[in-house]
Amino acid sequence: MTVQFRFGAPGDLTAPSDDRLTVGDPRVVDFLARLARRLLTPALARRHPELGSLGYFLRPAELNRAVERMRRADALVFPRGNVFHLPPANVDTIFVYSWALSALAGNHNVVRISTRAAGAAETIFEALNEVDADPVIARTQRMVTYGRDDAITSALSRWCDLRVIWGGDAAVDAIRAHPLRPSARDLTFPDRTSWAVLSVPGWRAADPATRRAAVTGFANDAYWFDQAACSSPRTVFLVGAGDPADVRDEFLQLLLQVVDQRGWTVDAAMAVEKRVNAYGLAATGAADALQFPDNRITALTLTGSDQVPRRWIGAGAFPFAQVGSLVDLVPAMTRQDQTVSHFGFTPAELNEFATALGGRGVDRIVPFGSALTFGAVWDGYDLPAEFTRLTTLQI
Amino acid sequence: MSVFTLSQKEKEAALLPQLAELTAHHRARCAPYDRILAASGFSSAGSLAELPWLPVRLFKTLELKSIPDDEVFKVLTSSGTTGDVSRIYLDKAAAAQQQRRLAATVQTVLGGKRLPMLLVDTKAMLKDRRSFSARGAGVLGMSTFGRDHVWALDMDGRVDLAAIRGFLDKHGGEPFLIFGFTFLVWLHLYEVARDHGLDLSNGILIHSGGWKKLVDQAVSPEEFRSRLAGVGLTRVHNYYGMVEQIGTIFLEGPDGGSLYCPDFADVVVRDPQTWAELPPGEPGLLEVVSTLPTSYPGHVLLTEDLGVVHGIDDGAWPGKRFSVLGRLPRAEARGCSDTYREAA
Repeated sequence: MTVQFRFGAPGDLTAPSDDRLTVGDPRVVDFLARLARRLLTPALARRHPELGSLGYFLRPAELNRAVERMRRADALVFPRGNVFHLPPANVDTIFVYSWALSALAGNHNVVRISTRAAGAAETIFEALNEVDADPVIARTQRMVTYGRDDAITSALSRWCDLRVIWGGDAAVDAIRAHPLRPSARDLTFPDRTSWAVLSVPGWRAADPATRRAAVTGFANDAYWFDQAACSSPRTVFLVGAGDPADVRDEFLQLLLQVVDQRGWTVDAAMAVEKRVNAYGLAATGAADALQFPDNRITALTLTGSDQVPRRWIGAGAFPFAQVGSLVDLVPAMTRQDQTVSHFGFTPAELNEFATALGGRGVDRIVPFGSALTFGAVWDGYDLPAEFTRLTTLQI
Repeated sequence: MSVFTLSQKEKEAALLPQLAELTAHHRARCAPYDRILAASGFSSAGSLAELPWLPVRLFKTLELKSIPDDEVFKVLTSSGTTGDVSRIYLDKAAAAQQQRRLAATVQTVLGGKRLPMLLVDTKAMLKDRRSFSARGAGVLGMSTFGRDHVWALDMDGRVDLAAIRGFLDKHGGEPFLIFGFTFLVWLHLYEVARDHGLDLSNGILIHSGGWKKLVDQAVSPEEFRSRLAGVGLTRVHNYYGMVEQIGTIFLEGPDGGSLYCPDFADVVVRDPQTWAELPPGEPGLLEVVSTLPTSYPGHVLLTEDLGVVHGIDDGAWPGKRFSVLGRLPRAEARGCSDTYREAA
């Protein structure tokens, strides 16, 4: 049973602690702000663009806003207690977002880092360990890697007041085999699907620079995490009456240009994966046209908006479906659907769409380029509220 | 007797019309296949390399057959690395044809007579339903080309030295057939023959299976051949084949070192970035082409193996000479749904 400490003071993870942090503890705010400065250095941001977004999220102004969200007029707000995080292995930055909010709420945190974490994650650990911090940070905030070890997972599950499980349905089910204390609970992030919606009239009305900017944003949303982040767009809905073929062609052309400029590549296994999935969708009649304009882009024409694949089908695989209006999409949306990123719609159209969804599906509706931007409200949860507990006082 | 007779030019001239006809045949009888080709905009091919290929993995995710249900005579399955299983549907004619062509291919090196046969495996393996599909089918399929079969391993998978000695005492003075998976041959025949001074010089070895385990032990195909020669085994033929193109095997020539295509089959090496055909000497993804699949659209398949064509019409047999270089490394998908599967 070996636990490798990536951050924080080595020691017994479940031992009782005398350290007490408060909601919005200045020592935590100070630490996160220093971390943000380090992540925002130009050299780092160039190497890992996703660290730029993370650094932005951790700026003092943002942190203060998050702390403000935790305050209540009708109750005293305290840290929830001990929080055990199980973040996804391969989205290198997501563990920092949820941990940082939890730390900001004053919790003692243990974050289980996958043995497969690599890339930007390593850079983050370097930054975390280089920041000067009050010693209380290292004693209360720990990030650890351990292999297949049910005993550790079990002990931490017994220790925590809140267990945060990312990573899809299978991970949630597997972790739930380890009981929590009766008073504790789970915050789960199961399998999700996300979409892009593009207004055909909105596109036609936009000038070339706006179109290009939209596609650049879309490309970041799709390619940063190989289209596999839960909020990365999978299917693109072309919304509006009439034939959108010209809009789609121009969109794909611009996308190819952006992919070229960024120098993104796709490896051979991924290219085969995309073929397997594209041919599969054609074979079952879900798609009736396949285009392979470039190894990095696979475009599919779906035979109906009810044919959208809900599983990941590869990096740079874009099924297209056409619908008359945003509200026509509503019946196709389910509880599994998370982010809808949009371009070219009026606020009224988006509002009507969100209202018609009625909370039955879709948690976030954001512009192209913001799909991956983490927010304190995520997957329908108000995270600052989840990470705190309330005491009411009547005198 | 040989099925390795056609020069590359003759082969392409003979195969292209047959494969084009097979493509039309499968389109007419297998709706999912037709939908794939229609969606990709395929109309016709002017060369073997232009024929529409299917990724071999599709047979794990889709039911692809060009015969009605009541004509299905045999369903072949292969266990895949991902746990999914390919399903290959044969009618009577296709089953007979694949067995006939397989026989013709191996008889090129065995001759027309059935030889006494040493199987480097355990009979117990036939009882294990999990491993039966791939390994068992290979052993059973090949065993019809021999007689007086003896298993080199006992029911517990240990070397049965007495059985091997008994086989050699009886048959070792005349040509005999040895069949087994490459790694088992290395571990349970070569090392035993070396340590116990067994004489295998009349043996003809046909072997297949991944090289990965041997490469892990730092044994190259060249070393494999030269070490086997040390125990007298010089007639050694590796082969490459897959259940998705059953009956077609690409056989190592008598000079060793490369695989050859029988007259009814060919290979194309593709650039996995541009998908264009690569010239000899340049490694890429291996596509296997065969006229045998008549009951399912498996006549042009893109494998997930890397390969390289070494030369054309310049070896012991005519046509393309190639090697399989190993599996395409699987891409590690990123993503939120990929968290904790290694430590649940």
